[in-house]
Amino acid sequence: MNLIATAILAPLSMMVLILLLRRLPAVLALLGAAVSLIAGIGLLSNAFNGVAGELILPGLPDMPLRLVATPLTAVLSTLVAIISSLVLVYAVGYMKQDSEKVRFFATMLLFVSAMQTLVLAGDWILLLAAWELIGLSSYLLIGFWYRRPGVRSAATRAFLYTRSADLGLYVAVFILIANAGSSDIATTLNTSGGVAVATGLLLLVAAMGKSAQTPLHDWLQRAMAGPTPVSALLHSATLVAAGAILLIRTAPMLPSETLLVIGIVGGITTVVTGLIALGERDLKRLLAASTSSQYGLMLVAVGAGVPLAALLHLIAHAAIKSSLFLGAGVFQHSRGSTALADLEGAGRDRPRLFFGFALAALALAGIPPLSGFFSKDAIIAASLASPNALVLASFALAGTVLTGAYMARALHTLWRGETRKRNIAGLGWMSAGLAGLVTLAVILGAAFPSIETLLHQSLSENTLAQILGLSAALGGLTLGWFIPGQRLLGPLLPWAQQGFAIAGGFDTWVVHPALAIARSCEQLERGLYNAALAVGRFSLDMGRAVRWSDDRGIDGLIFSLVRGTVELGNRARTLQSGLIHREMAITVVGTALIFVATFVVLFI
Amino acid sequence: MSIELLLALITGAALFGVGVYGALSQTNLVMIMMGVELMLAGAMVNLVAFWRYLHPDNPAGQMFVLIVMTVMAVEMAVGFGVAIARFRAKGSVEMEEAAELKG
Repeated sequence: MNLIATAILAPLSMMVLILLLRRLPAVLALLGAAVSLIAGIGLLSNAFNGVAGELILPGLPDMPLRLVATPLTAVLSTLVAIISSLVLVYAVGYMKQDSEKVRFFATMLLFVSAMQTLVLAGDWILLLAAWELIGLSSYLLIGFWYRRPGVRSAATRAFLYTRSADLGLYVAVFILIANAGSSDIATTLNTSGGVAVATGLLLLVAAMGKSAQTPLHDWLQRAMAGPTPVSALLHSATLVAAGAILLIRTAPMLPSETLLVIGIVGGITTVVTGLIALGERDLKRLLAASTSSQYGLMLVAVGAGVPLAALLHLIAHAAIKSSLFLGAGVFQHSRGSTALADLEGAGRDRPRLFFGFALAALALAGIPPLSGFFSKDAIIAASLASPNALVLASFALAGTVLTGAYMARALHTLWRGETRKRNIAGLGWMSAGLAGLVTLAVILGAAFPSIETLLHQSLSENTLAQILGLSAALGGLTLGWFIPGQRLLGPLLPWAQQGFAIAGGFDTWVVHPALAIARSCEQLERGLYNAALAVGRFSLDMGRAVRWSDDRGIDGLIFSLVRGTVELGNRARTLQSGLIHREMAITVVGTALIFVATFVVLFI
Repeated sequence: MSIELLLALITGAALFGVGVYGALSQTNLVMIMMGVELMLAGAMVNLVAFWRYLHPDNPAGQMFVLIVMTVMAVEMAVGFGVAIARFRAKGSVEMEEAAELKG
């Protein structure tokens, strides 16, 4: 039980410590990952001994938060811990020149602990919380170099794509909890009937968003804007894996109709994104498209009703894809670019590194005895055995051929060309992380039988599937090595390079209308703003008019009265001479006039 | 009308006319007051003449003259008081110079 808490809290506490101390971020990050790894291995050995751990935390009323260590979650937790530890080892070298190590390692640890919570979650509420946390931390990590052009938009795009698909998960979880009356995942898996079909489809939507399935595959390639260790972690064991893990965990309740839809979505994705990878001009974007393609294969396996095959491929793919990305990161450091045109001959600079990269590429293509062979074989066998064998098996085989073709294309580009060797800082750390992951990619196949026994399931042996898978892989590799990818695609090339945008794709159908709505909202707001301004201006004018009338009208009247009075007074005072003679003369003349008047009136 | 009354009235009118002339023509306050005295004297001659020749039995006429004489004395007292005050303050009683109260 304490092991579960340790697996989650070790990276989290180290993150807090890094943020508080602000020094030695790499050491603390490695420490956190190592402790988490030890806890994960402890959980796994407990699972082998038949001990299932459970940790119940107080949560909502009647819905406690559960963390469970079943064999499945223990395997996934160990996987996450191993991959993240090795990627962090690599990151120590990769980020040597970067000035913001504190932020980088803290966010990486948040990512790891969120992913541990997600895989170990035993109830839907905790799973939702972890699901959101990995969305947030992946947004932060993709946007890590936020000052570079295009990075912010890539991060926002990734966040919005996954967030909008997350709505499916929310609705599904609400339906499941309302239906089963409990938030425990194991309990809700007993759902059946129409509810199961509906929730299965909603969960598929959520998984499509997180695992970058067609038609939501676009964000993953743009997410390459983040640092390479982030891509490696994102594509192998964490963010993108979350969608597949969700479907693998809920597979027992999915009815056959939903399974068929899942299989078809996965099949379409594996073909479409495989073609995109074939036409891609950038190594990291090629690998990103390949990730979507491989998760499509996993969905095919889930759709064929054998989630175990999907799990095995998830595990193998995690090791393979992270080593491929880490190798690509070294090439990037050596040439300062990830465009395939710039990387020509980069493999020849460092043959040992190229050997590791090639091993991982061959493992992904499915060459025995590398790990990818076993998992791919399991998927093809599962698709052949399913009731919809015709559809699913052809998708799976097409995916395998395409995998071989694009990996061979990448290897061919890296090997053919001039060598330009350049010293790389931190190569030791990067090589150490890479070597660990390549080793895993090579030998993980040997661990598959024990995982099968751990989960009490077994995969059917099928010679036909092995022959088909191997010939598809070899055929694909041969095609890809000898024929340039562009020519292989033929008329599909321009379409593939646009990411198979149907009639302009999401940009036309979703982004532009959304932008148009935003623009009209802005216009409306501007109109309201202007109206408010006009009202304000009118009031001001009113005030000015009132002031004017006050100044000129009332004040003017009063002042003119005052002025008139003063003038009248001035005029009146000139009457007063102050000279006695004049006053007296006036008096005499006046009196004389009165006499005369009186005399005239009286006597005439 | 008797000839005596007429003579008396003419005398009074002449006195009044001299007084008016004096009051208007002089600039000295004392001389102006002299003119005013003459005008009052002319008026009193008229009053006495009217009493003596028209209503000798009625004492009201005599009384009226006496009151006028009293008023004349009082007026003189006030007038000379003002003149003395003015002289003390300004050193002159020339009325051409006394325009301080002009508005």
